[in-house]
Amino acid sequence: MKISFDSRKPATLMNERLEWDSYLEKVGLYKDKAAFAAVFKHFSPLLKSFLMKSGGQDSASVEELVQETWIKVWRKAPHFSSKQGSASTWIYTIARNTRIDAIRTQVRQNPDRLNAEDIYADYPTEAPHTSLVQLRNKRFVSEELRKLPAEQAEVLALMYFRGKSGQQVADTLNLPLGTVKSRIRLALAKMKLALPGSIAERQTGATEND
Amino acid sequence: MIKNHPDADLLAEYTAGVMALAPTISVTTHLQFCNSCKSTVKALEELGGEMLEQADAVPVSDDLLEQIFACVEEDETSEDSLLTRPTTIDEVASSIPAYLQKFLPEGKLHWKFLSPSVKVAPISVGETVHELALHKIKVGGKVPEHNHLGKEITVVLKGSFSDEDGVYQRGDFMVREAGEIHQPIAATHEECICLSVLAAPFKLTGLKRWLNPFLSFSPS
Ligand SMILES: [Zn+2]
Repeated sequence: MKISFDSRKPATLMNERLEWDSYLEKVGLYKDKAAFAAVFKHFSPLLKSFLMKSGGQDSASVEELVQETWIKVWRKAPHFSSKQGSASTWIYTIARNTRIDAIRTQVRQNPDRLNAEDIYADYPTEAPHTSLVQLRNKRFVSEELRKLPAEQAEVLALMYFRGKSGQQVADTLNLPLGTVKSRIRLALAKMKLALPGSIAERQTGATEND
Repeated sequence: MIKNHPDADLLAEYTAGVMALAPTISVTTHLQFCNSCKSTVKALEELGGEMLEQADAVPVSDDLLEQIFACVEEDETSEDSLLTRPTTIDEVASSIPAYLQKFLPEGKLHWKFLSPSVKVAPISVGETVHELALHKIKVGGKVPEHNHLGKEITVVLKGSFSDEDGVYQRGDFMVREAGEIHQPIAATHEECICLSVLAAPFKLTGLKRWLNPFLSFSPS
């Protein structure tokens, strides 16, 4: 199976990333169309790829979702703060929510009563990171993601990109669910993304977070 | 102090947006209490952003940007719609997350007795695979020993309860696999309210599941 993200692609330059953040803030503050166009130009082909893989629809309907995502980005931009996260992370969550709502509309699960963005409320973190710390974390994740063993990267790609649950990933790869779960945990541990509290097995009672 | 958290793979499913609605709600509910998991989710979203950055680009139509500008100019007046919280009369109802209140008819919870010490208020979120409900165990009340036919997630909203394995307090997130038998008991000074999500046991009972109560009591 082809891995859904291209790990051979050269890393987007880190200072280029800071630019997306400041462009997006300009969109929020001044409704700056030139700044929006720059962000659009960089992320649209990535969003199309992301939404195409998870939906599997034709190009036209995928572009509708891309469009919907951008309209939300434009409207919600005043809420974007680079202190709370980077542009790519923020755009990812909006695209994910758009995908969830599109799927729920398809299967008629009360689409107008609840939107994904109501559920994935944006809780501000207590101590926002400085952009420098964020950038360093991001660079680390970026590098580690490229170095992940193919079997771990594949599981993450199926989940994040193809929109498959752990069980569906297990069915697709013909693996026990436990194997899928442990690949996810190993990958997250390598990228230092999960704290011990959430990695520990349930009921060990040994974790004392928060 | 919160001692029971969702596993990392569950948080990954949550962040990737691949979880059914009712379990998603249970994780969001836990996040309201738990800064540790909240920052894990933030980190997992960063992973999503990173994967987006590393996606292989697929070109979009040339006129897409123009179309988007046309759309946003059209409704320049409509701000992004903030969720309005309906006025709630019920004390418990007003303590549950705002987005859940959307599902309460007239802002009220409809409590039904499940046993002398346990009441249940089902919340229909229009999802067919899981059932979402609030459970209220009265002070010192015992939940009859029961066996889960499907996997069950519980998040403590108020008070605390204990079972064979430990004590669970506000914010604690627990998963019980199908077949695990347990008997929760509420603390003796305060009633306990939990949000619970039960995977409907389709495989076991097929259509007959509609005849089952929310919890399926073992005959013991
Ligand atoms: Zn937690």
